[in-house]
Amino acid sequence: MVPGAFVRVMFPTREKPRQPGLLHIGYVLGGTPTEVMVAYTTSRPWPAATPLPAGARLFDREEAAALNQSRAFMLRLDVLAKLPITEAWFPDIAQPGQGVIAVTPARLRDELTGLATNLARRRRDLIQMRGTRRPAPIENGTS
Amino acid sequence: MLRSQTSRLDKDTRKRTSSGRRPPPEKVAITVRLDRARVRQLQAAADAENRTLTNYVETALIRDLSLRDEASRVITMHAAPGTSASIFAGDIVRADGESDAAHARRQALLIELWSIPDSD
Repeated sequence: MVPGAFVRVMFPTREKPRQPGLLHIGYVLGGTPTEVMVAYTTSRPWPAATPLPAGARLFDREEAAALNQSRAFMLRLDVLAKLPITEAWFPDIAQPGQGVIAVTPARLRDELTGLATNLARRRRDLIQMRGTRRPAPIENGTS
Repeated sequence: MLRSQTSRLDKDTRKRTSSGRRPPPEKVAITVRLDRARVRQLQAAADAENRTLTNYVETALIRDLSLRDEASRVITMHAAPGTSASIFAGDIVRADGESDAAHARRQALLIELWSIPDSD
């Protein structure tokens, strides 16, 4: 699947995170020939009084139109799914266009890689400051 | 354990087992003062969703809290069953016309993202 593509994907929901969820347009950060990392997008307006998530990148109508999308939308680089490239998750994968809505130009793809890299760095820094979620294994002979 | 605590626990257990499920959490009543016009708007929105005004307001507040909670997390990862826990740089597909430097940046990013465990 083309890195930097916006693609039709059954993005998993919070309620059922391990099953194909609702049909959305996702952004392909990249992957291998069999698995991809996809970021969530939504065209639902974000509540005005709620701070935007750190991984949000807003696309206005003009930018959306350039990516073959009819409405302004928000890309959430902080909401990711690691998915196998199968018809269950990508319903149009067997079609000629493979469900690809648009492929981002190199400049935008690099910008989004940069944003995601900063987010991953921030997460890493937080983990280093606060410790990992899982406790370290206890060695034999120590109390 | 104090007798009162024991009896309360027994009562809770009985409640849970007799109905087959845990009782709903205790609710606390609060008073909210709103403009009349706002209340009319909320009532109309609640009616449209076939909810009570109280349920509509509670649902809206839960949604807002959930968004705030989500915003405070840095990365939420959903990993489909059977996907690998790590990937090799050499397996990462290069984009059309992607420079070596840009590909290397994306490889580093994907290797890191791939190692993030499922959030659920």
